Amino acid sequence: MNKTAKKISRRSVLKLLAGGSISAALGAPTIVFAQSRRYAKLADTFRCIGCKRCMSACQRWNGLEMDRYELITDRNTDLTANSWVVVNLRADSDNRTQRHYQHWACQHCERPACAGVCPVTAITKLPQGPVVINENKCIGCRYCYQACPFKIPRFDFEKRVTRKCHLCYNRTPLLNYMKPACVAACPVGALAFDYRHEIVKEAQRRVRRLKNPSYIMGLSEAGGTDMITILPAKPKNMGLVVAPKKVVNHTLDKIRISASGFAAASVIAGAMYQYSNTDQHRDKEKHEGED
Amino acid sequence: MKAKIDKGLRASLEAIEHSPRFYVWLSVLAAFILLAGYALVASLVLSMEILEFSLQIPWATMVSAYTWLVVVGSGLCIINALGGVFGMHRYEMMSKRIVFLSLTTIMFGLMFIMLHLGRPERVAIYNAISPNFRSAISWMGSLYNIYLVVVVVEFWLLIRSNLTEQAEQAEGWKRTILGLLALQDLSDSRLDGILEKLHLKRFLYHPRLHRILDDPRLPRVVASVAFITGVAALTMLGSVFAHAESRALWYGPYYPVYFLVSALFTGYAALLAATIITYRARGEEMPPELKTLMFEMAQVLALLLAVGFVLTSYRLVTGLFDPLRQGPTLFILKGPLSPSFWIFEVGLMSVVPGLLLVISARKKSVGGVLAGSLMVLVGAFVMRYLFVVGGQIYPNVFPRLSADLPIILPSYLPTIMEVFLIVGIFSGFLLAYTLGEKFLPLKEEGPEHA
Ligand code: SF4
Ligand code: SF4
Repeated sequence: MNKTAKKISRRSVLKLLAGGSISAALGAPTIVFAQSRRYAKLADTFRCIGCKRCMSACQRWNGLEMDRYELITDRNTDLTANSWVVVNLRADSDNRTQRHYQHWACQHCERPACAGVCPVTAITKLPQGPVVINENKCIGCRYCYQACPFKIPRFDFEKRVTRKCHLCYNRTPLLNYMKPACVAACPVGALAFDYRHEIVKEAQRRVRRLKNPSYIMGLSEAGGTDMITILPAKPKNMGLVVAPKKVVNHTLDKIRISASGFAAASVIAGAMYQYSNTDQHRDKEKHEGED
Repeated sequence: MKAKIDKGLRASLEAIEHSPRFYVWLSVLAAFILLAGYALVASLVLSMEILEFSLQIPWATMVSAYTWLVVVGSGLCIINALGGVFGMHRYEMMSKRIVFLSLTTIMFGLMFIMLHLGRPERVAIYNAISPNFRSAISWMGSLYNIYLVVVVVEFWLLIRSNLTEQAEQAEGWKRTILGLLALQDLSDSRLDGILEKLHLKRFLYHPRLHRILDDPRLPRVVASVAFITGVAALTMLGSVFAHAESRALWYGPYYPVYFLVSALFTGYAALLAATIITYRARGEEMPPELKTLMFEMAQVLALLLAVGFVLTSYRLVTGLFDPLRQGPTLFILKGPLSPSFWIFEVGLMSVVPGLLLVISARKKSVGGVLAGSLMVLVGAFVMRYLFVVGGQIYPNVFPRLSADLPIILPSYLPTIMEVFLIVGIFSGFLLAYTLGEKFLPLKEEGPEHA
């Protein structure tokens, strides 16, 4: 038994190493690491009652400037540098009789596009799941906003850096991870927090028990996210940003795109060489004419 | 003391009387630069919001201006390779002006992006110690910085002989400074001893260094390095936009290519405009070889405009049939920004100047060439604006028509402070070019001097 265990472990270590180096080269050093140890947040749109306690808990915990009006209105509120979580009243465009409060924040992608474009590597995907912006490193270029498939990070004009939800990675020592402030504040269990595989199971269980049609967002959006949302309809019908169901801004894709530029540059260099040859011909003709 | 001040004052008054136009021009530029300084200080004291306020359109006019100016500079870099790398004599005669223009455009272009950043002071540190090799911005920044260094060396090599000449004619401290700049022998001045004490002389006058500097192959090598870094930087600049998969209008391998082509035509246009305006402002007649080259360049520019136009049409026509790109394409053709697209990008940037340039090259009209190239520059500015801002206005959220949330496009207009800052930086660029034109030997030399 010991032997097989050893064998397996050696093989898996090798696999881990190979996978690790390949994915590190492709820019996903974290996916191999402890898949089963990654945390995720669940947002259940069917259970949410729109009390917005998650918003105020987030603002209090992170020392954000509160806008009290946002906490009491049913108008559409957008994410800002000082509200990292918003709860909005949304309707399914096919079935408008039903309206639901919907919790919206950074989706903590498994392969975050934002971290892939940040020029100074200020954004990291922690092995435990959160995608965190290091505000002491951010240069405020806002490229993460342009790349994010959900359009989440927001620029703070006072602090001059970009900020967003960090899944309260700073609430507890990381390895003894406890609930984020918003989840702890939810009075009806519309938010939950656990290992990702547990959260996915829980979401599927809740969906099975529902009589209404529903959709689980986060399983494959942007290649999978560490925030799972139960929606009454597809994100598009809910007026949410629709992310493609694949890894966004894959490194190979970036290489392909830039390569086209270099190919065109070689063509241009060739054309320039041809153009410069006309010069020599002309000079020669001129000299011959003079002779 | 008083007499000295009096003398200085009188001398400058005389200088102003001598060429009032020049000093009016300088004061206008200085005024705009002061306004920009005011906007900058206000944004530091109050909030950055007075410059760029939009959360949905975080890259706005500053970034468009940056792209415009830096791409012009990169285009000049490519054009310079015609003389510097491929050895075309006609272009070699202009290389000083081309290199100086390329240097200043990129320097001031980078100033746009630095002031657009929230924390520009961190860039140098963190892009050096923790660059992200997957990020196009990181590559672009590093490559443009390398490019600037290479171009400074290239420019210095080009004007070194002129500096030596001037040093020989000058006297006193002027002679010392010019001699130092040209790395000439300074043994007749006091600076020599100072350099010796600072242990700099050993490096600056090392025989091996001078053997390299005097090697006739060196300019070509430096020009080639400048060409390669410049083109790579430009491709990465195009990639900054083209990598963003969630921006439908920017995404794809098309834009790195188009950036190269548009760099060429805006570069040619800027070179033509700058040269013609300079000669007009100085009231001098162009040497005949230069004039011939101007008309040849006008024809090349017209050809490049045609290539750019074909590329744009290709993008739009294929976009209409590609289900993924149909939305963005219709947005360009029929969306809220389409009037500017048709008037500026199609009319003012491609069709009208294309025809005008061909006609004036045939009729040998310098004024026509100038008008054509200015049109290209203005049209290209609007083209960049439509590209940068339009790319962000194109929505990511499409609720069905029956949903109670209508599609509200994010709206944006530059603030007055933003305009101050942008005009100020452009004035800074013009000031740098004016002063460079006055004090540096940028003038074209006929082939007999070269
Ligand atoms: S949702 Fe956007 S900001 Fe959040 S991790 Fe994904 S890419 Fe980054
Ligand atoms: S705004 Fe900050 S966090 Fe976002 S990409 Fe730029 S440097 Fe990185």
